[in-house]
Amino acid sequence: MEFSRRNFIKFFAGGIGGTLVSPLPWKLIDDIAIWTQNWSWVPLPGRGKFSTVNSVCTLCSGGCGIEVRKVGNRVVKIEGRRNYPVNQGALCPLGMAGQQILYNEGIRWKAPMKRVGPRGSQEWEEITWDEALNGLATKIRGLRNEGNPEKLAGIDGNHSRSTVALLIKRLFDAIGSPNYLGMPREEDTHAMAAFLMQGTNGPVAYDLENSDFILSFGCPLLDGWGAPGRMMSAWGQVAGDKPSTRPFLAHIDQRASRTALKADQWLAPFPGTEAALAMGIAHVLIREKRYSKEFVDDCTFGFADWFDAQGHGHKGFANIVLKKYSPQIVENITGIKKSIVIELARRFASSHAPIALTGRGKGLLPGSVYEFMAVHALNALAGRINKSGGVLVAHDLPLAPWPDAEYDTVATDGLKRERLDRAGTPRYPFTRSLIHTFSEAVNSSQSSPVDILLISSANPVFTIPDSKSLIEALDKIPFIVSFSPFKDETSLMADLILPDHTYLEKMEDVPRPTGVQYPLFALSQPAVKPLYRTRHSGDVIISLAQRIGGTIAESFQWNSFEETLKGRVKGLYQLGQGQIAYDGSEPVWKRLDKKSGLTPVYSSFESMWEALRETGCWYVPSHTFGTWSEIFQTPSKKFEFFSSNIELALKTYSKGKSLDDALADVGILARGDEVYMPHYEELKSRADEKEYPLLLVPIELINLASGWIGNPPFLNKTLFDHQLRKDDLFVEVNPKTASTHGLQEGSKAVLKSRTGELTVRVHVFHGAMPGVVFIPLGLGHTAYDRYLKGKGVNPYEIIDPTEDPLSGQSVWWNTRVTMVKI
Amino acid sequence: MKKRDSAKGARYGMVIDLDRCTGCGTCTIACAAENNVSVLYDESDKTRNINWLKIYMLTNGKAFPHTEVVYLPRPCMQCGNPPCVPVCPATATTNDSDDGIVSQIYTRCIGCRYCMAACPYHARDFNWFDPAFPKGMDRYLSPEVSPRMRGVVEKCSFCHHRLMSAKSKAYFEGRRDLREDEYIPACVEACPTQAITFGDLNNPKHRVSELIKNPSAFRLLERLGTEPKVYYLTTKDWMRRMADNYLQGESKKEGNRPEKKNG
Ligand code: SF4
Ligand code: SF4
Ligand code: SF4
Repeated sequence: MEFSRRNFIKFFAGGIGGTLVSPLPWKLIDDIAIWTQNWSWVPLPGRGKFSTVNSVCTLCSGGCGIEVRKVGNRVVKIEGRRNYPVNQGALCPLGMAGQQILYNEGIRWKAPMKRVGPRGSQEWEEITWDEALNGLATKIRGLRNEGNPEKLAGIDGNHSRSTVALLIKRLFDAIGSPNYLGMPREEDTHAMAAFLMQGTNGPVAYDLENSDFILSFGCPLLDGWGAPGRMMSAWGQVAGDKPSTRPFLAHIDQRASRTALKADQWLAPFPGTEAALAMGIAHVLIREKRYSKEFVDDCTFGFADWFDAQGHGHKGFANIVLKKYSPQIVENITGIKKSIVIELARRFASSHAPIALTGRGKGLLPGSVYEFMAVHALNALAGRINKSGGVLVAHDLPLAPWPDAEYDTVATDGLKRERLDRAGTPRYPFTRSLIHTFSEAVNSSQSSPVDILLISSANPVFTIPDSKSLIEALDKIPFIVSFSPFKDETSLMADLILPDHTYLEKMEDVPRPTGVQYPLFALSQPAVKPLYRTRHSGDVIISLAQRIGGTIAESFQWNSFEETLKGRVKGLYQLGQGQIAYDGSEPVWKRLDKKSGLTPVYSSFESMWEALRETGCWYVPSHTFGTWSEIFQTPSKKFEFFSSNIELALKTYSKGKSLDDALADVGILARGDEVYMPHYEELKSRADEKEYPLLLVPIELINLASGWIGNPPFLNKTLFDHQLRKDDLFVEVNPKTASTHGLQEGSKAVLKSRTGELTVRVHVFHGAMPGVVFIPLGLGHTAYDRYLKGKGVNPYEIIDPTEDPLSGQSVWWNTRVTMVKI
Repeated sequence: MKKRDSAKGARYGMVIDLDRCTGCGTCTIACAAENNVSVLYDESDKTRNINWLKIYMLTNGKAFPHTEVVYLPRPCMQCGNPPCVPVCPATATTNDSDDGIVSQIYTRCIGCRYCMAACPYHARDFNWFDPAFPKGMDRYLSPEVSPRMRGVVEKCSFCHHRLMSAKSKAYFEGRRDLREDEYIPACVEACPTQAITFGDLNNPKHRVSELIKNPSAFRLLERLGTEPKVYYLTTKDWMRRMADNYLQGESKKEGNRPEKKNG
C-alpha cells in the first residue's frame, strides 16, 4: 500500500483511537503503580500450612483458653476459645496482642548473659547455660559453706499456686533460706481477710454469675479484675437482658471507670472510705433486723456482746456497728447520702442472692485488710457465705504433693532465721511477703544481708509503689540473677540473665484462675519451639538444684519441669472426678449445684494427661457446699466477727510492751474490741493536706498492660490522645479541680508529692471525682524498646506509700500532691 | 457458579451494641492482627497512625457523678452509597460486588487521598510511612492479607479474605449460600462481650436483620444519605443525638427517632 499523506493521517488517528481502546496504557499505569509500590520494604508474609494449637493464656492468672493460629511454624494470631469454660471465647486486649510479646526481638533476651561492664552500662556477654548454671550453683554452695544460706533471697512474680512458684519455693527451702518473697497481689489481702474471719486458706471464689445483686466495693469487674476473660464474657451474656432479669450491679468507684459506666448504680464515696460505707450498710441490716438470723446465731462468733473465759466482757459487732456507724455518721465520712446508704442496705437484704465484693486493680495491687473484712462482714450478715451466688469457700486443687524436700543441718538452721521482710513474724503476723520492708532491711544494714537475689516473672523496679528504696537495695546487693525473658527495668540491673521462654513457647499451669468459682486447672502448651537460646525456668531451677548437689539435688529428683507438673496432675486423676473438655453449650456456673457430669471420661492417667494437653483444662462442674461446722477453721470453728487470730497475734506482739504501743506500731487507730473486728480505719497520708491539697490515685486500664509484661505496641493503638500524646501522659481531673488550679484541657503541669515530681498533661474529665488526680499505671518505662520506652511517666515514682494497718502492705492510693501548671 | 444479580446478592452489615461495649479495644487489636496493620513508634499521632477500627469516647458532659461515657467502635461503615468511591481517579475503591463490601485495591491506589477527604466517617488511613513492624515482628504477619506500602490508603475490608475463604469452602462443598456463622470478621469474633453482630442484611433470617428493626438502632450521620451498613444500638438518647449533626435551632426530630418529650 502506498503511504500517502491521507493514509498516514488515517493510520495515525486510528493508532490513537486504538491505543485508547486497547488496555495497554491502563495496563502500563497499573504496572507503574505496582512497580512503584513493590519495594523491598514491604514485608512479604511467609507461606506455609495453616494450623492451630489449643493453649491457655498465662499473661495473667485469668486462665483464658486460647487458640493460637499458625502458618508454617509461625504464630500469626491468637483467638479466644469458645470451647473453654473460663472465658468462653473472650480475651482481653493484652491476650489478643500476645504475638507481639513473642516476636518483639528488641525486648527479648536471646541467651544467658553475664554482665561485663559496670552495672547499668548494659555491656553483656553471651555465655552458655552450663557456664551460667555452674557459676550460680558454686556461688550458692559458697553461701551454704559459710553457713549463711539465708543470704540467698528471691522475688517471685509467679502465681503462688503455680508449679514454677512451688519449685522455686522448694529450692529456697532445700537451700535453707527463708527469704523467698512473692510479689504483692490482691489475693494476699483476700487470703488474709478470709483467714481472719473464716480460718480458711483457699482461693477467692465469687459466684457472681449466679448472683442477682452485686455490690462491688471498687472491684473493677470490667477493667481487668480477676479473670478478665471470664468477667467480660459474663457481662456479654447478661448485658442484653432486661434490667429486671439480669443481676443488679452497684459499683463503688471514684471515677467513671468501665465498670462504673456499666453499673446500674454508681456510687462515689471519698477515696479510702469504702469500709465505712460497708459498716453503714451493716448498721442498717442490723438495726432493721434484715440480717440472716439463722446464720448469725448459729455460725458466727462475736456478733452479740460476750464474756471471755476470764470473765471479761466484750462488745459485740452489732453493738459497735449500731453505735458507731449510723447512716448519718457514714454520710459524714463517705459523702454518700444516708438515704442512699439505707436504700442500698435494703436492696442488699431483699435480694435473693446478693454478694458484696472487694478488689483492686488487675490483681497486682493489694487492698486494705480491714476494708476487705468489713465488706465480707456484709456477706456474713446476709448469710451469703458458701451459698450459690455468694462467696464460696473454695479449696486448693487436689494436686498430688511432691515427696518432702530433704534438709541438711545448714538448711534447717537457715530456715530458723528471721525473714528480712519480717513477714510472718509477730510484727506482720498474717502477711506472706513484703517488698518494702525487705528493701529497708537491706538499706539499713552496713553490708547487704543478701548476697544473691533471684528475680523471676517480675519487674518490681517498675511495678511496686516504693521502687526507690528497692532500687537502692538492688544497688547494694552484690549479685542479682534475673530469669526474665525481657529486657525490663529489673533485668537490666542484674548481673546474670537466665532467660525464660515467653508464654507461647512453654508449658505452664494456672491452678484455679483468679476468682473462678469452681475447681479448674488450666494448662498451657508451647505454641512454637523456643525462638532463642532460652530455657524454661522450671527446668532451670531443677538443673540448678542438681548442680548445687547434696540434699538439694536429692530434693529435685526430676528430669524435667514437665515431669514435676505431670506428677502433681496425678492427684487430679486420683480424685476420680472431673471433666477435660467443654463443648461451649452450657456455662459451668449453671450446673454448680446439679452434681452432674462429674464422672470422668478418661480411664487411665495417661489418657487423661493426653486429653489435658489437648484441651488445656480439667475442671469439676460442681461445688461442695458442705455443712457450716466443717467450713470454718477459726479457733471458734465459726465465722468470726471478732477475730480470735488478731487477738492472739496482738497478744504475742504486745508482750513486753503495752497494747497501745503495739497497736501504734501496727498502725491501728481503733481501740477496744473494734481492733479485732471489721471496721473503718482512716488512712492518714504522710503529707499535710494543706500543703498538698490533691489526692493522687493510680488507675489501671484494661487496654494498657501495667504489670510485669510491657505494653505491646498494638495496645498503644487503643489509647486515646487524651491519655497519651507523643511522650506525654495525661491525668484525669474534674473540671472544678482544673479550674481551681488554673488548668485547661491539655495543660502541662507538674505533680509534686512529698517524694518526687512528675510532668504530665491534663485531661479535663467530668467522670473524675473533684479533688482527685487519676493517673494510669503502665507507662513511663525506662527499659524495653522504642515503642514503649520513654512514653509517659510511671506514677510510682512519686507515690508516697503508707503501710496498711495489720498487713503492712503498701497503700498506694493515698498520696497527696500539688499540681502546678507550667 | 452462576453470576448473581447484585441486587439479590448479599449485603453484609454489622450491628454494634454500645450499651454492651466496654470500649476495651480488643476488637481494634484483633483487626490489626488479622489484617497486618502496621504500628508506629508514636501511635498517639492520630493523624498518621492506622486503625481500621477506631474507638471513640463520647460523654454526656454531665457533672460528676452523673457523667456517662459511651465508647463507640468505628470500622468502615461499608456505605451502600459510598462517597469515597466516585471520587477515586484510579478506580482503586469500588462498590460493585455482590456482597456490598467497599473494596480498596492497594495496587491501584495512587495516594491522592480524595477518598479520605470524601469519607465523612474518617474511616480511611493513609500510609505516610513505610509499613513498620518492630524488629522481628514481621514474623507474625499473615499471608492472607497483603501488607500495604507507603503511599496508599487503607481501610476496613469487613475482613474480605474471610468471606473469600468461606465462599471457597462452600463452593468446594457444593453450596452456594453461606451459613450465618461461616463468615465472621475478626473484630466480631474477638469482642469479649459479644457486642458486635454480623450478617447479611438481605437475609431476614440473620440476626442483624432482626436487630436493625430495634427502635434503638441507628446509624452515624444518616442524613447524609450514605446508607451505612454498620448500625449501632443504644438506649442513651444523648448519644443517639450525637450521631447526626444539626444546625443550631434546627429540630432534632429529624434524626431517625423522635426525641423523647422529657429528654
Ligand atoms: S485476661 Fe489474662 S488470660 Fe485472658 S487474654 Fe487477657 S491476659 Fe490473657
Ligand atoms: S471488643 Fe467489643 S467491648 Fe471491646 S471495644 Fe470492641 S466492641 Fe467494645
Ligand atoms: S471487619 Fe475486619 S477489617 Fe473491618 S474493622 Fe472488623 S476486623 Fe477490621
